[in-house]
Amino acid sequence: MVERELEVITEIHRIVTDELEWKGAVEPAQDLVRDLQLDSLGLTVLAVGLENRFRIRLSEEDAQGVRTVGDLARLVARRVAAPADAVSEVGP
Amino acid sequence: MLSASGQDRSPFIRAVGRALPPHYASQEQLIAAFRELWATRHFNLERLEDLHRAVQVGGRHLALPLEAYPPLVTFQQRNDAWIRAATELSETVVRQSLDAAGLAPSDVDHVFFVTVTGISTPSIDARLANRVRFREDIKRTPLFGLGCVAGAAGVARAADYLRGFPTHTALLVAVELCSLTLQREDLSIPNIIASGLFGDGAACAVLRGAEVPGAKGPRVVASRAVFYPDTERIMGWDVVDSGFKVVLSAKVPGLVKDHIRGNVDGFLAQHGLTRGDIRHWVAHTGGPKVLEAFEEALELPAASLERSWASLREVGNLSSASVLFVLGETLEQVDARPGDWGVMMAMGPGFGAEMVLLRW
Repeated sequence: MVERELEVITEIHRIVTDELEWKGAVEPAQDLVRDLQLDSLGLTVLAVGLENRFRIRLSEEDAQGVRTVGDLARLVARRVAAPADAVSEVGP
Repeated sequence: MLSASGQDRSPFIRAVGRALPPHYASQEQLIAAFRELWATRHFNLERLEDLHRAVQVGGRHLALPLEAYPPLVTFQQRNDAWIRAATELSETVVRQSLDAAGLAPSDVDHVFFVTVTGISTPSIDARLANRVRFREDIKRTPLFGLGCVAGAAGVARAADYLRGFPTHTALLVAVELCSLTLQREDLSIPNIIASGLFGDGAACAVLRGAEVPGAKGPRVVASRAVFYPDTERIMGWDVVDSGFKVVLSAKVPGLVKDHIRGNVDGFLAQHGLTRGDIRHWVAHTGGPKVLEAFEEALELPAASLERSWASLREVGNLSSASVLFVLGETLEQVDARPGDWGVMMAMGPGFGAEMVLLRW
């Protein structure tokens, strides 16, 4: 699981760098909104990028508990491990 | 605004015509058309469909039938189609507007032409002159690049001109064919949102100087432009080999919330007015979040922006033409009383805003 989370963090770094003009490092403790300065569009771009890379669906309910890069990495890793959980969910 | 001799030099808005291209597609038809394309890169298509529905647009009028778009691949192909359709739609809307004003093309002294969706030299106003036969001394001012703000800014610049030439008549022609800028191969989220929001349309405002005998309509009392420094990446185009690739930031509603109240209050105060004195609000349709930001920041009474909301639902965001659609509907549908004040406002790439003070 930890290995998968590291893979997700690498992908988060790629997305925010390539698509959202972020120039700094990406660490698990960073707050997505406060530290990475992601607005609603940025969060959507990030979610879509992760869905495409890992072939999963992230729901609005999922987002309620996600504040940091680490939270997001754990969520994505869980979805990859159990994709059936998310099949009926609809994204925001 | 008075001249040195004490005369009111505020020009009149005599009529505002609106024209939509004949091809229409509902939002669901457009989603169906895009879905296969989205699936080439994206996994969760429902999320993209929801983004398209979230902009609250019911459908769009299009310059071409849906099936005519896929063969247009290069910038030249798209822009050639744009020139043809923009010229035709300009002619339609100018003839309609002049008829509504009871004027002939020979009555026009100056044409301001605004667009951000295609390029042409000679500009569309020249092609228009050959079709409707303006006088040979017609003055032409094509303006490219102001984007959504150009409807309000164009009225303001035309009014500035008419203060200097108060016996003249000016047209502001706004033509936007956003569908012909769409980069289908750009499957980024900003482009997918833009493809759900922007539509095609044209508008033409007929303005007459204060000394034109019998001129009537609401007057353009004053205008004010506001430039927001260091906001170049908020909205615009990246010009690429295949045309115009949209730059669209989610920061637009935030900018509206942060600035528009101070901008409007400062502008009105220059004229001894407050927001409570304004009976008619003519706002660029933007998108749902922009309209909500206007309502919230300006603390507008319920239904103040109903015409903007209706226009957004019916035809989408028509860039510079949108605020003129709302202005035209205000002129025709609202029971305005002599002495009523109105504010027209729009924002666009720069980033910047333009406010226009109207008096009936």
